[in-house]
Amino acid sequence: MPSVLCSVATRGRYHTTLPLVLSAIMNQTRKVDKLIIYDDNDEPKDVRQEYLYKHFFQMLDIKGVAWEWLFAQKKGQHHIHQMANMRGFDWVWRVDDDAIPESNVLENLLKYAKDDVGAVGGSVLTPPQNEKNNATGTIDRIDSEPNIQWGQIDGVKEVEHLHCTFLYRSGVHDYNLGLSRVAHREETLFTFGLHQKGYKILVVPNAVTWHLKNPEGGIRSETKQEMFEHDEQIFRNVLRFRADTIVVLNCGLGDHIVFSHVLPSIRNPVVFSCYPEIVPGGSIAEAQHLFGDIYQYNIYARMDGWKWKDSLESAFRKMYT
Amino acid sequence: MIIISPYAKALLSKKQNPKNYPYWKELISQITEPIIQVGIEGEEQLVPDFRKNLPISELRGLLQECRTWISCDSFFQHLGWDENKPGIVLWSVSDPLIFGHPENTNLLKDRSKIAKNQFLWWEFVEHKSDLFVEPKEILVHLNKE
Repeated sequence: MPSVLCSVATRGRYHTTLPLVLSAIMNQTRKVDKLIIYDDNDEPKDVRQEYLYKHFFQMLDIKGVAWEWLFAQKKGQHHIHQMANMRGFDWVWRVDDDAIPESNVLENLLKYAKDDVGAVGGSVLTPPQNEKNNATGTIDRIDSEPNIQWGQIDGVKEVEHLHCTFLYRSGVHDYNLGLSRVAHREETLFTFGLHQKGYKILVVPNAVTWHLKNPEGGIRSETKQEMFEHDEQIFRNVLRFRADTIVVLNCGLGDHIVFSHVLPSIRNPVVFSCYPEIVPGGSIAEAQHLFGDIYQYNIYARMDGWKWKDSLESAFRKMYT
Repeated sequence: MIIISPYAKALLSKKQNPKNYPYWKELISQITEPIIQVGIEGEEQLVPDFRKNLPISELRGLLQECRTWISCDSFFQHLGWDENKPGIVLWSVSDPLIFGHPENTNLLKDRSKIAKNQFLWWEFVEHKSDLFVEPKEILVHLNKE
């Protein structure tokens, strides 16, 4: 049976929707193997002695569900999701702190979590919304149609991106850590990245999550316009280069030499390089302009995150092929 | 002729790079073949023929001319590998299974002493001479190359 980590990123909702969400997770027909609450509050609390949470944690213990409450770094939910992504579970079920899954959601999502699948999502409905829509879920139509998950889903359908809450195969694709704290489009970029890696992205029926869109709090409770604009620019550039593999070699001369052996295996590479005499390409400054923070391309940071033991060449292959 | 590439990239802190081999002079004194040292301006000259700041194309040319080469864990070991010219790499704290190439002769004295985190800056790792193999061990391999 595959292992499932449930991750909940929370901010400003200790006493509103978060308890409802945690209760819904605890009462799933298929229990999660672990629940991690990533607390991204500006003033985080130790809630273990609060009546509600104390009993909630005791109930998790009684049900045999491992749990952790981690204080996050206030860098945005994409950093939180990446931490969950790297925890070594087979699948991660990400649930927003105002999204209340019906009791059968995880069980039904997992029915479709086959070897060739990267992510599975169900309906994400905000009351009174309860109708089917005719969206395609393709990235080309993201500006012209509602999200397919915003309607009832009456059959399994392959799409190219997902929204809000879904189950995903962990450790095979990384979140874009170049986004701002608001992490606008983070889940679209992530699931589209899984799609680009050749995994199926599915929406499936009988997996309804009620998204209350609590106006108070929320992991995205930032209002700075420039953050959204920054993230939108990254998103648009990712779409612009979507037929290509973006390669940013912000590393040493020897690393470039090793990478040059991987380059022929990369699909449509668009390279930005420190040593164009070894690996021709655009400049690192150009990459920064296009994609924001390019730390996500730091091969050493990635190997550290992967707890890498294999060769540098294999690490480049994992990253780019 | 053999090439030596003695030094890894200088650290910003000016401390000695923990990957730099400490016994070059002793080793060189026991090599009878002509030696060309390659490196950059500012590095200590160890042999009469020290060629500084060569472009990559000239380094590739030298690699094709040499019998073999000896290097610490620096870009040069990758260049030798890229040129299909096996050489000897002298390791200490970095992991040859990650950063090395099996085509080269990778001399690591004690695997249990490599740095726990291989992916941080080497600025934070202390240079320790006793982590490197002795020159006599290198000579054994040099004569086999």
